[in-house]
Amino acid sequence: MNRIAVTGLGAISALGASLEENWQAAVAGRPGIARTRMGDGEHGPGGLELPMARVADGYQAAVDAALGRPVMAGLDPFARFILAPALEALEQSGLRGHEVLTERTAVVFGHGFGGLATLEAGYERYFGMKSPRMHPSTVPRGMMSAGVSAVAMTFEIRGPVFATSSACASSAHAIAQGASMIAMGQVDAALVGGSEAISTAGSVRAWEAIKAMSPTACRPFSADRDGMVLGEGGAVLALEAWDHAKARGATILGELVGWGMSSDAFHITQPSPEGQARAMRQAATQAKALDRDDILVSAHGTGTPLNDAAETQSLVEVFGAQARKLPVTATKSAHGHLIGGSAALQAAIGLRALAEGVAPPIQNFTARDPACDLDLVIGDARKINSRLLLQNAFAFGGLNVALMFASAKA
Amino acid sequence: MAPVTPSDDELFDVISKEALIDRATLTREANLEDLGIASLDVISVLFEVEERFGILVEAEELTDCKTLGQLMDKVKAKAQAAASA
Repeated sequence: MNRIAVTGLGAISALGASLEENWQAAVAGRPGIARTRMGDGEHGPGGLELPMARVADGYQAAVDAALGRPVMAGLDPFARFILAPALEALEQSGLRGHEVLTERTAVVFGHGFGGLATLEAGYERYFGMKSPRMHPSTVPRGMMSAGVSAVAMTFEIRGPVFATSSACASSAHAIAQGASMIAMGQVDAALVGGSEAISTAGSVRAWEAIKAMSPTACRPFSADRDGMVLGEGGAVLALEAWDHAKARGATILGELVGWGMSSDAFHITQPSPEGQARAMRQAATQAKALDRDDILVSAHGTGTPLNDAAETQSLVEVFGAQARKLPVTATKSAHGHLIGGSAALQAAIGLRALAEGVAPPIQNFTARDPACDLDLVIGDARKINSRLLLQNAFAFGGLNVALMFASAKA
Repeated sequence: MAPVTPSDDELFDVISKEALIDRATLTREANLEDLGIASLDVISVLFEVEERFGILVEAEELTDCKTLGQLMDKVKAKAQAAASA
Protein backbone atom coordinates (compact mmCIF):
# COMPACT_ATOMS: atom_id res chain seq x y z
CA MET A 1 0.00 0.00 0.00
CA ASN A 2 1.26 3.46 -0.85
CA ARG A 3 1.85 5.86 2.04
CA ILE A 4 -0.18 9.06 1.88
CA ALA A 5 1.53 12.45 2.17
CA VAL A 6 -0.28 15.74 2.66
CA THR A 7 1.44 18.33 0.48
CA GLY A 8 -1.08 21.15 0.33
CA LEU A 9 -3.82 22.69 2.47
CA GLY A 10 -6.42 25.35 1.82
CA ALA A 11 -9.32 26.73 3.82
CA ILE A 12 -12.04 29.35 3.90
CA SER A 13 -14.50 30.05 6.72
CA ALA A 14 -15.74 32.86 8.91
CA LEU A 15 -12.21 32.87 10.35
CA GLY A 16 -10.64 33.93 7.04
CA ALA A 17 -10.04 33.17 3.39
CA SER A 18 -6.86 31.10 3.76
CA LEU A 19 -5.63 28.39 6.09
CA GLU A 20 -3.14 30.86 7.57
CA GLU A 21 -5.97 33.24 8.53
CA ASN A 22 -8.03 30.34 9.89
CA TRP A 23 -5.08 29.09 11.91
CA GLN A 24 -4.17 32.49 13.33
CA ALA A 25 -7.76 33.13 14.41
CA ALA A 26 -8.20 29.66 15.90
CA VAL A 27 -4.97 29.72 17.86
CA ALA A 28 -5.65 33.25 19.14
CA GLY A 29 -9.14 32.21 20.24
CA ARG A 30 -10.78 34.77 17.95
CA PRO A 31 -14.44 34.00 17.26
CA GLY A 32 -15.90 33.56 13.81
CA ILE A 33 -19.39 33.32 15.29
CA ALA A 34 -21.53 36.45 15.49
CA ARG A 35 -25.20 37.24 15.85
CA THR A 36 -26.57 37.34 12.33
CA ARG A 37 -29.84 38.58 10.93
CA MET A 38 -31.08 36.37 8.11
CA GLY A 39 -33.21 37.96 5.44
CA ASP A 40 -36.21 35.91 4.40
CA GLY A 41 -36.66 37.46 0.98
CA GLU A 42 -39.74 39.13 -0.40
CA HIS A 43 -41.98 36.12 0.14
CA GLY A 44 -40.62 34.73 3.40
CA PRO A 45 -42.39 35.00 6.76
CA GLY A 46 -39.84 37.44 8.20
CA GLY A 47 -36.17 37.40 9.18
CA LEU A 48 -34.53 35.36 11.91
CA GLU A 49 -31.63 36.38 14.14
CA LEU A 50 -29.25 33.81 15.53
CA PRO A 51 -25.56 33.14 16.07
CA MET A 52 -23.82 32.00 12.88
CA ALA A 53 -20.34 31.96 11.37
CA ARG A 54 -20.53 33.34 7.84
CA VAL A 55 -17.78 33.88 5.31
CA ALA A 56 -16.99 37.54 4.60
CA ASP A 57 -17.67 38.41 0.98
CA GLY A 58 -14.88 39.77 -1.17
CA TYR A 59 -12.62 36.71 -1.40
CA GLN A 60 -13.85 35.94 -4.93
CA ALA A 61 -11.80 38.61 -6.72
CA ALA A 62 -8.47 37.16 -5.59
CA VAL A 63 -9.46 33.71 -6.86
CA ASP A 64 -10.57 35.06 -10.26
CA ALA A 65 -7.34 37.07 -10.48
CA ALA A 66 -5.23 34.00 -9.69
CA LEU A 67 -7.12 31.99 -12.32
CA GLY A 68 -6.85 34.78 -14.88
CA ARG A 69 -10.55 34.68 -15.76
CA PRO A 70 -13.94 35.13 -14.10
CA VAL A 71 -15.04 31.80 -12.66
CA MET A 72 -16.54 32.53 -9.24
CA ALA A 73 -19.63 34.42 -10.46
CA GLY A 74 -20.84 31.32 -12.29
CA LEU A 75 -20.82 29.13 -9.18
CA ASP A 76 -23.10 28.55 -6.22
CA PRO A 77 -21.46 29.60 -2.93
CA PHE A 78 -20.87 25.96 -1.97
CA ALA A 79 -18.75 25.47 -5.10
CA ARG A 80 -16.91 28.77 -4.55
CA PHE A 81 -16.14 27.55 -1.04
CA ILE A 82 -14.33 24.54 -2.52
CA LEU A 83 -12.66 26.18 -5.52
CA ALA A 84 -10.96 28.82 -3.36
CA PRO A 85 -9.27 26.34 -0.96
CA ALA A 86 -8.53 23.94 -3.87
CA LEU A 87 -6.50 26.70 -5.52
CA GLU A 88 -4.70 27.40 -2.24
CA ALA A 89 -3.91 23.71 -1.64
CA LEU A 90 -2.74 23.14 -5.21
CA GLU A 91 -0.47 26.18 -5.12
CA GLN A 92 1.04 25.16 -1.80
CA SER A 93 1.64 21.62 -3.05
CA GLY A 94 3.31 22.86 -6.22
CA LEU A 95 0.97 20.61 -8.23
CA ARG A 96 -0.86 23.37 -10.13
CA GLY A 97 -0.11 22.69 -13.78
CA HIS A 98 1.82 19.49 -12.91
CA GLU A 99 1.46 16.60 -15.35
CA VAL A 100 0.11 14.32 -12.61
CA LEU A 101 -3.18 16.26 -12.84
CA THR A 102 -3.84 15.11 -16.38
CA GLU A 103 -4.83 11.53 -15.58
CA ARG A 104 -3.36 10.41 -12.27
CA THR A 105 -5.17 12.77 -9.89
CA ALA A 106 -8.58 12.35 -8.26
CA VAL A 107 -10.94 15.03 -6.97
CA VAL A 108 -13.30 13.97 -4.17
CA PHE A 109 -15.21 16.55 -2.16
CA GLY A 110 -17.95 16.03 0.41
CA HIS A 111 -21.03 18.19 0.82
CA GLY A 112 -24.12 17.61 2.91
CA PHE A 113 -26.41 19.61 0.67
CA GLY A 114 -25.02 21.18 -2.49
CA GLY A 115 -26.26 24.41 -4.03
CA LEU A 116 -28.94 25.58 -1.64
CA ALA A 117 -28.67 29.28 -2.56
CA THR A 118 -29.25 28.40 -6.21
CA LEU A 119 -32.18 26.11 -5.43
CA GLU A 120 -33.80 28.53 -3.01
CA ALA A 121 -33.58 31.38 -5.51
CA GLY A 122 -35.21 29.15 -8.10
CA TYR A 123 -37.93 27.96 -5.75
CA GLU A 124 -38.65 31.51 -4.62
CA ARG A 125 -39.31 32.38 -8.25
CA TYR A 126 -41.50 29.34 -8.71
CA PHE A 127 -43.48 29.15 -5.45
CA GLY A 128 -43.15 32.77 -4.32
CA MET A 129 -43.33 34.76 -7.52
CA LYS A 130 -45.34 32.11 -9.38
CA SER A 131 -42.91 32.38 -12.29
CA PRO A 132 -42.89 29.31 -14.51
CA ARG A 133 -39.29 29.98 -15.63
CA MET A 134 -36.24 28.99 -13.65
CA HIS A 135 -32.74 30.26 -14.31
CA PRO A 136 -31.22 27.77 -16.75
CA SER A 137 -28.19 27.34 -14.53
CA THR A 138 -30.29 26.13 -11.59
CA VAL A 139 -29.45 22.47 -12.17
CA PRO A 140 -25.77 22.70 -13.20
CA ARG A 141 -25.02 25.15 -10.37
CA GLY A 142 -27.09 23.42 -7.74
CA MET A 143 -26.11 19.80 -8.24
CA MET A 144 -23.94 18.24 -5.56
CA SER A 145 -21.12 17.53 -8.03
CA ALA A 146 -20.91 21.16 -9.23
CA GLY A 147 -17.97 21.71 -6.87
CA VAL A 148 -15.82 18.79 -8.01
CA SER A 149 -16.62 19.59 -11.64
CA ALA A 150 -15.64 23.24 -11.20
CA VAL A 151 -12.30 22.22 -9.71
CA ALA A 152 -11.64 19.52 -12.32
CA MET A 153 -12.43 21.91 -15.19
CA THR A 154 -10.51 24.83 -13.71
CA PHE A 155 -7.32 22.84 -13.14
CA GLU A 156 -7.80 20.31 -15.98
CA ILE A 157 -7.83 17.27 -13.71
CA ARG A 158 -8.91 14.21 -15.65
CA GLY A 159 -8.76 11.33 -13.15
CA PRO A 160 -11.63 10.00 -10.99
CA VAL A 161 -13.84 12.94 -9.96
CA PHE A 162 -16.93 12.65 -7.75
CA ALA A 163 -18.67 14.00 -4.66
CA THR A 164 -19.45 12.18 -1.42
CA SER A 165 -22.37 12.94 0.86
CA SER A 166 -22.78 11.85 4.46
CA ALA A 167 -24.07 14.99 6.19
CA CYS A 168 -21.53 16.17 8.79
CA ALA A 169 -18.99 13.49 7.83
CA SER A 170 -19.03 14.20 4.07
CA SER A 171 -15.54 15.65 3.77
CA ALA A 172 -14.11 12.94 6.02
CA HIS A 173 -15.52 10.29 3.70
CA ALA A 174 -14.06 12.26 0.77
CA ILE A 175 -10.62 12.24 2.40
CA ALA A 176 -10.91 8.49 3.02
CA GLN A 177 -11.91 7.85 -0.60
CA GLY A 178 -9.03 9.87 -2.01
CA ALA A 179 -6.61 8.18 0.38
CA SER A 180 -7.85 4.72 -0.59
CA MET A 181 -7.33 5.44 -4.29
CA ILE A 182 -3.76 6.57 -3.64
CA ALA A 183 -3.08 3.64 -1.32
CA MET A 184 -4.28 1.21 -4.00
CA GLY A 185 -2.22 2.90 -6.69
CA GLN A 186 -5.23 3.99 -8.75
CA VAL A 187 -3.99 7.58 -8.68
CA ASP A 188 -0.84 9.37 -7.53
CA ALA A 189 -2.57 12.42 -6.08
CA ALA A 190 -5.99 13.48 -4.85
CA LEU A 191 -7.60 16.78 -3.98
CA VAL A 192 -9.95 15.95 -1.13
CA GLY A 193 -12.06 17.89 1.33
CA GLY A 194 -15.47 19.45 1.37
CA SER A 195 -17.57 22.57 1.66
CA GLU A 196 -20.98 23.80 2.63
CA ALA A 197 -23.08 26.91 2.10
CA ILE A 198 -26.10 26.39 4.32
CA SER A 199 -26.66 29.93 5.52
CA THR A 200 -29.59 30.50 3.22
CA ALA A 201 -32.93 31.72 4.53
CA GLY A 202 -34.85 28.50 4.01
CA SER A 203 -32.06 26.23 5.15
CA VAL A 204 -31.49 28.12 8.39
CA ARG A 205 -35.20 27.78 9.19
CA ALA A 206 -34.96 24.04 8.54
CA TRP A 207 -31.97 23.74 10.88
CA GLU A 208 -33.78 25.74 13.51
CA ALA A 209 -36.68 23.28 13.32
CA ILE A 210 -34.43 20.46 14.58
CA LYS A 211 -34.03 22.37 17.86
CA ALA A 212 -30.33 21.52 17.95
CA MET A 213 -29.13 25.10 17.39
CA SER A 214 -27.65 27.15 20.18
CA PRO A 215 -29.30 30.53 20.78
CA THR A 216 -26.00 31.80 22.20
CA ALA A 217 -22.73 30.18 21.07
CA CYS A 218 -21.03 26.87 20.32
CA ARG A 219 -19.38 25.67 23.55
CA PRO A 220 -18.25 22.06 23.04
CA PHE A 221 -17.87 19.88 26.17
CA SER A 222 -18.94 22.76 28.45
CA ALA A 223 -21.55 21.88 31.11
CA ASP A 224 -23.92 24.55 29.78
CA ARG A 225 -23.53 23.67 26.09
CA ASP A 226 -26.84 24.19 24.35
CA GLY A 227 -26.40 23.31 20.71
CA MET A 228 -24.52 23.79 17.50
CA VAL A 229 -23.90 26.95 15.48
CA LEU A 230 -24.05 26.92 11.69
CA GLY A 231 -20.92 27.91 9.82
CA GLU A 232 -20.00 27.90 6.16
CA GLY A 233 -16.92 27.53 4.01
CA GLY A 234 -14.69 24.68 3.00
CA ALA A 235 -11.24 23.13 3.08
CA VAL A 236 -9.06 21.07 0.77
CA LEU A 237 -6.12 18.76 1.34
CA ALA A 238 -3.75 17.84 -1.46
CA LEU A 239 -2.92 14.18 -0.82
CA GLU A 240 -0.13 12.48 -2.69
CA ALA A 241 1.58 9.12 -2.82
CA TRP A 242 4.54 9.45 -0.46
CA ASP A 243 7.11 8.36 -3.06
CA HIS A 244 5.61 10.68 -5.68
CA ALA A 245 5.88 13.63 -3.30
CA LYS A 246 9.44 12.70 -2.32
CA ALA A 247 10.55 12.19 -5.92
CA ARG A 248 9.55 15.72 -6.90
CA GLY A 249 11.01 17.23 -3.73
CA ALA A 250 7.67 18.40 -2.35
CA THR A 251 7.37 19.74 1.18
CA ILE A 252 5.44 17.15 3.19
CA LEU A 253 3.06 18.71 5.72
CA GLY A 254 1.89 15.48 7.33
CA GLU A 255 0.91 11.90 6.63
CA LEU A 256 -2.49 10.25 6.69
CA VAL A 257 -1.77 7.04 8.58
CA GLY A 258 -5.24 5.69 9.35
CA TRP A 259 -8.86 6.06 8.38
CA GLY A 260 -11.83 4.23 9.81
CA MET A 261 -15.48 4.31 8.81
CA SER A 262 -18.60 2.88 10.44
CA SER A 263 -22.35 3.20 10.60
CA ASP A 264 -24.41 3.11 13.80
CA ALA A 265 -27.48 1.69 12.04
CA PHE A 266 -29.35 3.14 15.01
CA HIS A 267 -30.99 6.57 14.74
CA ILE A 268 -31.24 9.37 12.19
CA THR A 269 -30.13 12.09 14.64
CA GLN A 270 -28.96 10.46 17.90
CA PRO A 271 -25.31 9.38 18.10
CA SER A 272 -24.09 5.99 19.29
CA PRO A 273 -20.74 5.74 21.12
CA GLU A 274 -20.36 2.16 19.94
CA GLY A 275 -20.41 3.12 16.25
CA GLN A 276 -18.10 6.09 16.79
CA ALA A 277 -15.66 3.88 18.72
CA ARG A 278 -15.50 1.37 15.86
CA ALA A 279 -14.45 4.09 13.40
CA MET A 280 -11.83 5.43 15.81
CA ARG A 281 -10.50 1.95 16.61
CA GLN A 282 -10.08 1.17 12.91
CA ALA A 283 -8.15 4.38 12.31
CA ALA A 284 -6.00 3.96 15.41
CA THR A 285 -5.31 0.30 14.63
CA GLN A 286 -4.23 1.07 11.07
CA ALA A 287 -2.00 3.83 12.45
CA LYS A 288 -0.67 1.50 15.21
CA ALA A 289 -1.68 4.22 17.65
CA LEU A 290 -3.99 2.45 20.11
CA ASP A 291 -1.56 2.83 23.01
CA ARG A 292 0.06 6.09 21.98
CA ASP A 293 -0.13 9.02 24.38
CA ASP A 294 0.99 11.68 21.90
CA ILE A 295 -2.31 12.14 20.08
CA LEU A 296 -4.05 15.49 19.67
CA VAL A 297 -7.79 14.88 19.43
CA SER A 298 -9.66 17.28 17.16
CA ALA A 299 -13.12 16.36 18.32
CA HIS A 300 -16.27 16.33 16.26
CA GLY A 301 -17.41 18.49 19.21
CA THR A 302 -20.58 20.10 17.93
CA GLY A 303 -21.62 21.55 21.28
CA THR A 304 -24.87 19.62 21.52
CA PRO A 305 -25.54 17.91 24.87
CA LEU A 306 -25.74 14.42 23.31
CA ASN A 307 -22.84 14.59 20.87
CA ASP A 308 -20.13 15.69 23.24
CA ALA A 309 -21.05 13.18 25.95
CA ALA A 310 -21.18 10.35 23.37
CA GLU A 311 -17.83 11.40 21.90
CA THR A 312 -16.28 11.37 25.38
CA GLN A 313 -17.61 7.86 25.95
CA SER A 314 -16.34 6.58 22.61
CA LEU A 315 -12.87 8.07 23.16
CA VAL A 316 -12.67 6.31 26.54
CA GLU A 317 -13.92 3.08 25.00
CA VAL A 318 -11.11 3.11 22.41
CA PHE A 319 -8.18 4.57 24.36
CA GLY A 320 -9.09 3.48 27.91
CA ALA A 321 -7.76 5.54 30.81
CA GLN A 322 -5.26 7.05 28.36
CA ALA A 323 -8.13 8.92 26.67
CA ARG A 324 -8.28 11.35 29.58
CA LYS A 325 -4.64 12.32 29.05
CA LEU A 326 -4.98 13.25 25.38
CA PRO A 327 -5.38 16.97 24.67
CA VAL A 328 -8.77 17.60 23.07
CA THR A 329 -9.67 20.64 21.00
CA ALA A 330 -12.94 21.43 19.21
CA THR A 331 -12.65 24.24 16.69
CA LYS A 332 -16.32 24.30 15.71
CA SER A 333 -16.45 26.68 18.66
CA ALA A 334 -14.50 29.11 16.44
CA HIS A 335 -15.69 28.50 12.87
CA GLY A 336 -19.10 26.97 13.51
CA HIS A 337 -20.31 23.74 11.96
CA LEU A 338 -19.53 23.57 8.25
CA ILE A 339 -21.52 20.31 7.98
CA GLY A 340 -19.94 18.64 4.92
CA GLY A 341 -16.87 20.87 5.15
CA SER A 342 -16.15 20.53 8.86
CA ALA A 343 -13.86 17.52 8.98
CA ALA A 344 -11.56 18.85 6.26
CA LEU A 345 -11.32 22.30 7.87
CA GLN A 346 -10.70 20.84 11.32
CA ALA A 347 -8.11 18.42 9.93
CA ALA A 348 -6.31 21.27 8.14
CA ILE A 349 -6.23 23.34 11.35
CA GLY A 350 -5.20 20.21 13.29
CA LEU A 351 -2.28 19.53 10.93
CA ARG A 352 -1.08 23.09 11.52
CA ALA A 353 -1.41 22.46 15.25
CA LEU A 354 0.86 19.39 14.97
CA ALA A 355 3.38 21.33 12.89
CA GLU A 356 3.43 24.31 15.27
CA GLY A 357 3.27 22.24 18.48
CA VAL A 358 0.31 24.33 19.65
CA ALA A 359 -3.34 23.31 20.11
CA PRO A 360 -5.99 26.00 19.55
CA PRO A 361 -8.40 26.45 22.45
CA ILE A 362 -12.05 25.45 22.69
CA GLN A 363 -13.88 28.78 22.69
CA ASN A 364 -16.86 29.83 24.83
CA PHE A 365 -16.14 27.15 27.46
CA THR A 366 -17.54 28.04 30.87
CA ALA A 367 -17.79 25.00 33.16
CA ARG A 368 -16.70 21.37 33.30
CA ASP A 369 -19.20 18.59 32.76
CA PRO A 370 -18.50 15.24 34.50
CA ALA A 371 -19.84 13.52 31.36
CA CYS A 372 -17.01 15.14 29.35
CA ASP A 373 -14.04 14.54 31.66
CA LEU A 374 -11.32 14.87 29.04
CA ASP A 375 -8.13 16.93 28.93
CA LEU A 376 -9.83 19.84 27.18
CA VAL A 377 -7.75 22.66 25.73
CA ILE A 378 -9.55 25.64 27.27
CA GLY A 379 -8.56 29.22 27.95
CA ASP A 380 -5.47 29.95 25.86
CA ALA A 381 -3.83 27.88 23.15
CA ARG A 382 -1.62 25.17 24.65
CA LYS A 383 1.83 23.88 23.75
CA ILE A 384 1.64 20.20 22.84
CA ASN A 385 4.07 17.41 22.08
CA SER A 386 1.57 15.48 19.99
CA ARG A 387 2.86 13.59 16.96
CA LEU A 388 -0.54 12.31 15.85
CA LEU A 389 -3.85 13.99 15.10
CA LEU A 390 -7.15 12.17 15.50
CA GLN A 391 -9.89 13.90 13.50
CA ASN A 392 -13.40 12.74 14.29
CA ALA A 393 -16.49 13.29 12.14
CA PHE A 394 -19.86 11.91 13.22
CA ALA A 395 -22.87 12.58 11.03
CA PHE A 396 -26.63 12.51 11.38
CA GLY A 397 -27.78 9.03 10.49
CA GLY A 398 -24.91 7.55 12.50
CA LEU A 399 -22.24 7.79 9.81
CA ASN A 400 -18.83 7.93 11.45
CA VAL A 401 -15.32 8.60 10.18
CA ALA A 402 -12.09 8.86 12.12
CA LEU A 403 -8.88 10.03 10.45
CA MET A 404 -5.40 9.69 11.97
CA PHE A 405 -2.65 11.95 10.68
CA ALA A 406 1.02 11.93 11.67
CA SER A 407 3.23 14.97 12.00
CA ALA A 408 5.70 15.53 9.17
CA LYS A 409 8.46 16.02 11.73
CA ALA A 410 10.81 13.03 11.94
CA MET B 1 -43.27 44.68 -16.85
CA ALA B 2 -43.46 46.69 -20.04
CA PRO B 3 -40.66 45.81 -22.43
CA VAL B 4 -37.68 48.16 -22.47
CA THR B 5 -35.24 48.36 -25.36
CA PRO B 6 -31.77 47.83 -23.87
CA SER B 7 -28.67 49.70 -25.01
CA ASP B 8 -25.60 47.90 -26.36
CA ASP B 9 -23.80 48.61 -23.09
CA GLU B 10 -26.62 47.10 -21.05
CA LEU B 11 -26.60 43.97 -23.20
CA PHE B 12 -22.81 43.69 -23.00
CA ASP B 13 -23.17 43.82 -19.20
CA VAL B 14 -25.69 40.98 -19.19
CA ILE B 15 -23.65 38.83 -21.60
CA SER B 16 -20.45 39.41 -19.65
CA LYS B 17 -22.13 38.42 -16.39
CA GLU B 18 -24.07 35.40 -17.63
CA ALA B 19 -21.47 33.91 -19.98
CA LEU B 20 -18.55 34.81 -17.68
CA ILE B 21 -16.66 36.68 -20.38
CA ASP B 22 -14.41 39.65 -19.72
CA ARG B 23 -16.51 42.74 -20.52
CA ALA B 24 -13.58 44.37 -22.37
CA THR B 25 -13.44 41.61 -24.99
CA LEU B 26 -17.09 42.05 -26.03
CA THR B 27 -17.69 43.90 -29.31
CA ARG B 28 -20.54 43.87 -31.82
CA GLU B 29 -18.24 42.18 -34.34
CA ALA B 30 -17.17 39.37 -32.00
CA ASN B 31 -18.08 35.89 -33.21
CA LEU B 32 -20.22 33.89 -30.74
CA GLU B 33 -18.27 30.72 -31.34
CA ASP B 34 -14.90 32.45 -30.87
CA LEU B 35 -16.15 33.88 -27.58
CA GLY B 36 -16.93 30.34 -26.42
CA ILE B 37 -20.60 31.15 -25.79
CA ALA B 38 -22.33 27.79 -25.36
CA SER B 39 -26.05 27.17 -25.82
CA LEU B 40 -26.60 27.20 -22.04
CA ASP B 41 -24.92 30.62 -21.90
CA VAL B 42 -27.35 31.92 -24.52
CA ILE B 43 -30.31 30.61 -22.49
CA SER B 44 -28.88 32.27 -19.37
CA VAL B 45 -28.48 35.56 -21.24
CA LEU B 46 -32.07 35.35 -22.51
CA PHE B 47 -33.30 34.61 -18.99
CA GLU B 48 -31.59 37.76 -17.70
CA VAL B 49 -32.85 39.78 -20.66
CA GLU B 50 -36.40 38.80 -19.74
CA GLU B 51 -35.76 39.60 -16.07
CA ARG B 52 -34.22 43.00 -16.66
CA PHE B 53 -35.94 44.29 -19.78
CA GLY B 54 -39.18 42.31 -19.94
CA ILE B 55 -38.39 40.93 -23.38
CA LEU B 56 -39.21 37.31 -24.09
CA VAL B 57 -36.84 35.81 -26.68
CA GLU B 58 -36.60 32.08 -27.33
CA ALA B 59 -33.21 30.55 -28.05
CA GLU B 60 -34.57 29.10 -31.30
CA GLU B 61 -35.01 32.64 -32.64
CA LEU B 62 -31.24 33.19 -32.45
CA THR B 63 -29.96 30.16 -34.34
CA ASP B 64 -28.95 32.28 -37.37
CA CYS B 65 -26.91 34.73 -35.28
CA LYS B 66 -23.16 34.46 -35.80
CA THR B 67 -21.96 37.67 -34.13
CA LEU B 68 -22.82 39.45 -30.89
CA GLY B 69 -24.15 42.40 -32.89
CA GLN B 70 -26.64 40.16 -34.71
CA LEU B 71 -27.78 38.66 -31.42
CA MET B 72 -28.20 42.05 -29.79
CA ASP B 73 -30.09 43.46 -32.77
CA LYS B 74 -32.50 40.54 -32.62
CA VAL B 75 -33.15 41.19 -28.92
CA LYS B 76 -33.69 44.91 -29.56
CA ALA B 77 -36.01 44.23 -32.48
CA LYS B 78 -38.14 41.99 -30.27
CA ALA B 79 -38.29 44.72 -27.63
CA GLN B 80 -39.38 47.33 -30.14
CA ALA B 81 -41.96 45.02 -31.69
CA ALA B 82 -43.36 44.22 -28.23
CA ALA B 83 -43.43 47.90 -27.25
CA SER B 84 -45.35 48.93 -30.37
CA ALA B 85 -47.74 45.97 -30.21
